Amino acid sequence: MNACLELDLNEMPYPPPDSVVEAARKTLKDLNRYTEPDALQELAELLARYSGVQREQIVVGPGSDLLLREVVMCFGAGKKVVMVSPSFLSTVRVARRFAGKLVSIRLSLPDFRLGRQALLEELEEPSLVVIDNPNNPTGRIILDWELVDDILYHPQTLLIVDEAYFEFSGMSFAGLVADHANLALARTLDKAFGLAGARVGYLIAGSAFLEAFSMLFTFLPQASLQAALEALRQPGYMWKNVQLVMEERERLRQELQILGAVAYPSNTNFLLLKSRIPGIAGELRERDVLVLDLSNQLGPGYIRVAVGTPEENDAFVRAYRSVAQRHDEGIDS
Amino acid sequence: MSAKKKVGLIVNPIAGMGGSVGLKGTDGQMRHKAVELGATPVTPERARQFLTRIRNSDRIELLVAPGRMGEQCASGSPEVVGEAGEITTAEDTKRIAREMVSRGVEVLVFVGGDGTARDIQDAVGLQVPVIAVPAGVKIFSAVFAVNPGAAARLVESFLEGAGYDEQEVLDIDEEAFRQNRLASRLYGYLLTPRASGVLQRGKECSPSDAAAAQSKEALASWVAHNLAGNVLYLLGPGTTVKVVADAVGVPKTLLGVDAVTDGRLVGSDLGEKGILQLMDSYVETRIVVTPIGGNGFLFGRGNRQFTPQVLRRVGRKRIIVVATSDKLLLLDALRVDTGDFELDQALSGYMEVIVGGNETIKMEVRG
Repeated sequence: MNACLELDLNEMPYPPPDSVVEAARKTLKDLNRYTEPDALQELAELLARYSGVQREQIVVGPGSDLLLREVVMCFGAGKKVVMVSPSFLSTVRVARRFAGKLVSIRLSLPDFRLGRQALLEELEEPSLVVIDNPNNPTGRIILDWELVDDILYHPQTLLIVDEAYFEFSGMSFAGLVADHANLALARTLDKAFGLAGARVGYLIAGSAFLEAFSMLFTFLPQASLQAALEALRQPGYMWKNVQLVMEERERLRQELQILGAVAYPSNTNFLLLKSRIPGIAGELRERDVLVLDLSNQLGPGYIRVAVGTPEENDAFVRAYRSVAQRHDEGIDS
Repeated sequence: MSAKKKVGLIVNPIAGMGGSVGLKGTDGQMRHKAVELGATPVTPERARQFLTRIRNSDRIELLVAPGRMGEQCASGSPEVVGEAGEITTAEDTKRIAREMVSRGVEVLVFVGGDGTARDIQDAVGLQVPVIAVPAGVKIFSAVFAVNPGAAARLVESFLEGAGYDEQEVLDIDEEAFRQNRLASRLYGYLLTPRASGVLQRGKECSPSDAAAAQSKEALASWVAHNLAGNVLYLLGPGTTVKVVADAVGVPKTLLGVDAVTDGRLVGSDLGEKGILQLMDSYVETRIVVTPIGGNGFLFGRGNRQFTPQVLRRVGRKRIIVVATSDKLLLLDALRVDTGDFELDQALSGYMEVIVGGNETIKMEVRG
């Protein structure tokens, strides 16, 4: 069986450094033991230092998606939740299930702009606002400082920003958390740090959120914890990979545009594409290339593709070209 | 300075007249009925809106059809092509279109609806590019600009040497349309100048699978249970709104405007006059409307009974938009083209669309 080219989950294509793998491996002999609380404390301290915030503002959990789920269930159940559309589907599903009312602001084409006034006028009543910035799946930065300031100005509003891709965008609101009780950020080591298999997420949370999490004590798996600690001790490796991915992202974007795809500008490790081929995701799958099919979120022809290694990106371009050629021949004949 | 480009203008003077009186078209003998019911011409104003929005009018030489078919809408002394009597017909449109092409017109502008588009297609096919200014009752073909201002932008694209695209012309069966059925087939293609975001997409049918039906029923049930007492609800055309009527328990004309209050049907297949008369009897009126699948029009396509006067009296805040999320995902925006530029601007901005019992999506409305 051929190995698939997996570009559907926005993973970092490069493995973690040997020292991180070794740190995780060493824990295997202690699998009969729970995680040491001191090690969890150390992780929170390293995350605080990495993020430039206070240790007390950090909440660690097994993946940022689960932390987001906790936030929606704690603060949005039976209440008004405001999101954007499209958005990270996992969070949308939770909000749809638990919110008293879900209001989604549709990002406006052609450039997926967020209507500021449309959002702000929803905040006259108590609301939980959940926004991914950069947005997944468009890859676009949709929040700016002024808008966040305006949202936080509403005292009955809680704002949580999903910053899963902040290392690629270079934009974070972490500096605002100390002064704004109603702001929280959700982050992950899955993406930039290349630890998707370890599932380590964290919140940088204002005091209005922290109270709900004061009783939450999460044991991370030993291997995940030690891998995270080791990765955070040497962030330079991660930043080097982020740089490589961003360079490849721009090369990939140019090549796909030459092939006639609309490849939107991205501030993440993935590209949003609009192809003229309506069933593009299925056509690629037949060539053992996996991408995220967005036809049920954005319409026919939309896919999200993660940036891979140069070799993986070349393979993706070849597969796309092959599908496009077959499609065009079919139209001509 | 380069030579001026020859632009032809043909206006169908009776297009769109049936809309406000609920006739769903003016093909055949319906024009007389429209006049009897008090309908007034709408195309002259649409033609004027188009002409006044062309920014490079000094670069074009305008050729117009005679009298009400163009001459009366244009300022100055444009060259008049062909002849027509007081009562104009489809044959006049076809003959004058051919004559304009033989006179060297490089782009042909017509003002009308789907019927006029079919006449132009019969006459000129793909010989010259066309610009279609929407003004009919049925405007479902993709060849049309979203509004007269957008049509004017197509003139600019043409002058700048943009390429051309083939766009669909649909054949809507007007008799079936009047009998509450939307039957369409592809009639042919016309060439239009290429420009981004100015052409409407053709109508697409609502998703009809089981999931879509379930989704419609869920949102309809929620809307039906949240209707306020002693309020007049005007239910617009479309299958989504029909499901709301089903949930209320009243019959619904699929392509007409019906009125409901306190769970009772109080008006069926209403025109503007009937709507305004009913509104006089109620303190508050709300409109329930669904966007047209494929192009997102809330007002100005297929529901011209909601005239600017009706919409102004109802007010933006009392317009309830319903749609399934499947329908919305195929739309880049919601649109309005009421024929009243200021009203279109007032309706623009974000509007809430009910997509489920506890879920709404706010989408941009573009005028």
